[in-house]
Amino acid sequence: MVRRLAALLALLLVLAACTGGGDGGAPAAPTARDVPGTIVVASGRDVTGKNGVRRRLIDAWNQREQRAGTQFRARLVELPGSADEQRSQLLGALQSRSAEYDVVNLDVTWVPEFAAAGLVRVLPEELVDEDVIRSVAGTARWGGKVYAVPFNSDVGLLYYRRDHLARAGVERPDLSGGLTWERLRDLVETLDGRPARGAYRKGWTTQLAAYEGRTVNAVEAFASAVRDFALVDEEGRYTGTVEELAAGIAELRRRTETPYTLQDAFHSDEAASLSDFAEGRTAFLRHWPYVYPALYRTFTREQLGVAPLPGRAVLGGQNLAVTSASQRSGKAAELIRFLTGRESERCLLDAGFAATRESAYGDGVRCATAVAGPSASPTGEGADPVPRDAGGRPAYARTILLPALRDAVHRPRTPLYGAFTQTFTAGLGPLFGDAPPTDEALAEQLDEALRKALPD
Amino acid sequence: MTPLDPRGLVNRALLVGVSEYDLTEPPHGVPGDLPAVKHNLNRMREALVRGRVFGEREIEVARSPSLDDFGRALRAVAGEAEGVLLLYFAGHGAIPSAGDELFLQMRNASVVAGGHAVFPGAEMFTTVLTVLATSPARRIVVILDCCFAGNAARVWEHFDDKRRVMLLMSVQANHRTDAGDPREPTPFTAVLAALLDEDRDTTLSDLADRSRERMTALGLRTLRDDPWEPQLRTERGMDVLLRPGGGQDPPAPPPRPSVPTPPPGPAPPPGPTPPQGPFRAFPAVLLALARGLRAALTDRFRTPGPPRPSRRAVTRIVLAAGLLGLGLYGLPRWTGGDEAACAPPLELRVLTDPDLEPTVRAAADAYLTSGENTTGDGCRRTGVTVYSAGSSDVVDALRAQTGAWQEPRNEDVNPQRDIGPQPDVWIPASRADADRVEAGRDTDAVAALEPAEEPLAYSPVVLAVPDALSSEALDDRVGRPLSEMVDRLTARDGNAAVRRPDPEFTDTGLLATVGLYGADARAVARGERMVAQPGPPSPTAAELLCTLPDDDAVDHRTAALVPEFLLRSGVGCDATTRSTRYAQYPEDVPGVEPVYVRVRWRGADRDERERDASADGFRDWLAGERGRAVFARDGFRSAYDRELLDAPRDGEHMLHAPTPLVESAGRDAMERALRAYRDAGGPGRVLFLLDSSGSMIGQWQGPSGGPGLLRQSLGGLGERDEYGVWAVAGTGDRPYGTLLRLGPHGRADAARALDAGARVRDAEADPHAALLAALDEMGERGDDRRPQLIVHITDGEDNGRLTGERLDDVLDRARATGVPVTVVSLQSGGCDPGRPDRRIADVSGGRCLDLGDDLGAALHDEVARTGTGEG
Repeated sequence: MVRRLAALLALLLVLAACTGGGDGGAPAAPTARDVPGTIVVASGRDVTGKNGVRRRLIDAWNQREQRAGTQFRARLVELPGSADEQRSQLLGALQSRSAEYDVVNLDVTWVPEFAAAGLVRVLPEELVDEDVIRSVAGTARWGGKVYAVPFNSDVGLLYYRRDHLARAGVERPDLSGGLTWERLRDLVETLDGRPARGAYRKGWTTQLAAYEGRTVNAVEAFASAVRDFALVDEEGRYTGTVEELAAGIAELRRRTETPYTLQDAFHSDEAASLSDFAEGRTAFLRHWPYVYPALYRTFTREQLGVAPLPGRAVLGGQNLAVTSASQRSGKAAELIRFLTGRESERCLLDAGFAATRESAYGDGVRCATAVAGPSASPTGEGADPVPRDAGGRPAYARTILLPALRDAVHRPRTPLYGAFTQTFTAGLGPLFGDAPPTDEALAEQLDEALRKALPD
Repeated sequence: MTPLDPRGLVNRALLVGVSEYDLTEPPHGVPGDLPAVKHNLNRMREALVRGRVFGEREIEVARSPSLDDFGRALRAVAGEAEGVLLLYFAGHGAIPSAGDELFLQMRNASVVAGGHAVFPGAEMFTTVLTVLATSPARRIVVILDCCFAGNAARVWEHFDDKRRVMLLMSVQANHRTDAGDPREPTPFTAVLAALLDEDRDTTLSDLADRSRERMTALGLRTLRDDPWEPQLRTERGMDVLLRPGGGQDPPAPPPRPSVPTPPPGPAPPPGPTPPQGPFRAFPAVLLALARGLRAALTDRFRTPGPPRPSRRAVTRIVLAAGLLGLGLYGLPRWTGGDEAACAPPLELRVLTDPDLEPTVRAAADAYLTSGENTTGDGCRRTGVTVYSAGSSDVVDALRAQTGAWQEPRNEDVNPQRDIGPQPDVWIPASRADADRVEAGRDTDAVAALEPAEEPLAYSPVVLAVPDALSSEALDDRVGRPLSEMVDRLTARDGNAAVRRPDPEFTDTGLLATVGLYGADARAVARGERMVAQPGPPSPTAAELLCTLPDDDAVDHRTAALVPEFLLRSGVGCDATTRSTRYAQYPEDVPGVEPVYVRVRWRGADRDERERDASADGFRDWLAGERGRAVFARDGFRSAYDRELLDAPRDGEHMLHAPTPLVESAGRDAMERALRAYRDAGGPGRVLFLLDSSGSMIGQWQGPSGGPGLLRQSLGGLGERDEYGVWAVAGTGDRPYGTLLRLGPHGRADAARALDAGARVRDAEADPHAALLAALDEMGERGDDRRPQLIVHITDGEDNGRLTGERLDDVLDRARATGVPVTVVSLQSGGCDPGRPDRRIADVSGGRCLDLGDDLGAALHDEVARTGTGEG
């Protein structure tokens, strides 16, 4: 159970990385102080089944360096799948130097902490250029400087069963144009009026267990209910108010009312909620882009649809940073430039990640064949189940994913994110307990706890 | 006048840095240690050597000397120098009251406060100058990096023999400064050293001018929030060359992220602003003062506009003003200005046994928000992340894989990925684990263990007997060896069974196995018969108690070997329906005794002192009253008298004092039991079926792809084990090709064969035919009674051929041959109930692993259970 839980946690922040063909051209000269040798890239185990795209991109960079006759090579060191363990090892190792890393793949919520602690370096501004989706680019900075370049992004989405809606007589079962929570509740009531046979139990499921997933779902509710919701200022100091928190709690309570929500959701993480949806226990699922290919292995295009999440959706993803201890920081930044370049981002998108650049969603950039990976065999065995557009991208990339990323909200950006999310998750626990307090009472408790966790 | 060029003369430099003080507690201690100063000495020495005025042997370094040692060293260098004599001092400086003499505080310094404070263990600056002036040197350079350094100027001005003496002071008189990030040199010394690194002629006056400019550009400020301005005092025209330019530099030191270079400029931007050191010695008296004043003054100071002092800066200003008159001063802090209120805390990585994880995590959660872990500013000193991994994997890794743990060199052996972070603290369930590591350790191990003397708590391993089979008689519950208790249990009910958690995954299982095998592990076969069960054992004791109620009949007739504390803290499943269980206390099963072990990694010295302080703080809390309360709540006993820390409640059926309890587990007993367990069935036989059909192209590469997972699992097989690999692709007569014939192999040879032969075929797979062939193959070979296992790694794409009668065929054959089939399903939900892969695994007694599992580690464990392993 322990191991399984750890693996499931890992699935949560799955966005691992990959690489791609950069922007072409010869490698820039390393800075004079770079020591030739291996650039160690530390990144969480890729549990998304992306077939080693990350490694292929690094291989492509190594080949380029070899051709250029340099002595620099990059090597990927995989960390545990669990995000908590990744963070712990990266922090502990960089603080103490118990291990040497040159490039680290950071969850977007960790960037302020690593930057404020002086564990990663300031990077050239131009690594995060105008092509990077604006909301995503916001994860790169701390204190006005670029510390971590977006590698792959992520955003909350709504998956739904088109066949259930059609069977229940819903006239337009295509929800890709978006919907409100009120409309979602109406649809659930319609479904409940003419319930599907089999495993169907409740309208929707999501991740409400006491871990990061609860924070994500709560921030989505809070940000939908409170205009310009942030909880912290740009320096990471707590700015929340009891009124804001109460409004957010009220919205979260509405969203998780038991007539609409699968009971298991209150104990679910990513894997459990995905499994419930795949088994047909719900018609709606809040989840991340990485399950898009997996769900199309389970369901046909007639059965499955994907839509923007009603209200605001939280931005996830991972960014690459150069460690302060690196002896080859110039070359490491060059590697990052390659891994986060236009071609690489296109490769990531094709492989199923949410790309961080606008250009990946356009028609001007292709993924180099060397990185694109093997294709399906001529027999048709293993034919790609993912619906794709004319450019070869997942069909929803331009119409659903990109707009969702542009409109996504950040979780609070603070160097003390660990303390924040632990407090936030625990503080919201009573809402899902046997005797939930009022919005105001819970907001007051939460406010007090957050003030303590994020002292001014 | 041309500055003196001292090259070629006999020069001497004495670098004195006091980073550690004997007395740092009120009322007479100095305000705290100064870890940054340790880095000053290294950095200054390096810069002077690069400057080539001083030869390496001309530089003497005194680290935290006592007053006597300082005096001796000063006299020695003063007598030897003929060209330039340089004295550098970094440490605490103190003044009795504003504008008076300056005292340089050495290791044995103390403070006697009063109207005119005195400073035992400190050297008066007047005395220092007097000794220096005895030197025949042509120039005498003094550089002071300490609070109130500028107060030396007045002493110099009144000094008679000052013509040769040149004085560079880090800060103006009556000002205190922050020592900055404890992991880096102090700001002033960092600037000096950076300037000395530059390849150009640099005299002492240049150093003074340019350090002032640079510190202004960096926006550095004193604790009174004035601009921080280094001071120089020399007689007119006196100067000395300290760094000639135009030469060949020795090799450059590695880049230093925090060397202050003022932005903007053509040079690469500097590293991030040095963070606030997470650990400071805040004397209680100062804290109390700070808290009192802060409440009253904070709001007045909180005006917008740069540089806006944070609340903590305000506290420091208040402290500065308030304490100067007392003759005390300076806390090591950085006054960065615009950072968040609290610096990110130091992260402790805490590894524990899987059965202990919930308790240790609860303790860590409580510790995080405890007063002990909170600074006076409300900040956390330490962050703690608790995680667990299989107990025998951890022992093996600490014993023989610390090099790979620190620096994973290949995909096959990577403890960072498969076990977890490099622990700073390890809490195994028995002290014997640490002894096992020590006993068999590599000579080149890069991690050293320091186990605490005493365990944190105690919990006996009990035979938890279901209500229906239990005996109320005390005679049945205590005072008998485990085997006898099992015999009596089966005598009461012929259908009674016993289960134990996986001895390789949790110490509870191994401790129980010590009892099952009896003295010297002589009764292995008998012991294994007692706990024989269909399918693999549960990984942990908690999971065992959760698995049993899946089948009520099994739950009601199966006793479980689990730690007693689980009968109290319980498990989060089937609370209302599972059997009530009574604890019986075998006299030959050692108990669980969590012990704190500090783990030190070679080279991890960047924050050694702070990490030690953090680790010690957590250890003391765990061993103290509040830590004990967590263990008490979870049902543990005292490590000392073995009494329950909390009395049993209704419905908890443990004995208050189940004497006699046995002594602690022994290193050799555990090692012997594990070896015997691994060898119990003799060498094993494993047949891998690697789906190589076209669809696997998306699940092929990298350590999470099919071949990568297979290769990682080979570590669980030894040279006496037999194994083989079939590539499953193609239909009709030949549903597989042989990549590696079934037989004994060296791991390297096997990996090479896989590298050479494993590839995706342009074909579909027929898992039905391949599984039947594999079951037949293993069935035929099974006469030698070796433990056997079939591993099927697949993406399930061709499970369309595993339905209806075909699936029934496979299920029937699996039942008949009794060979467990473990399926690794590379698709989400591949092991959900009812799926073909899950049914095959369940029927055969194997396991079904899907993307919800940590596939690499889980498959390794499954294979290792069948094989004898590499150890």
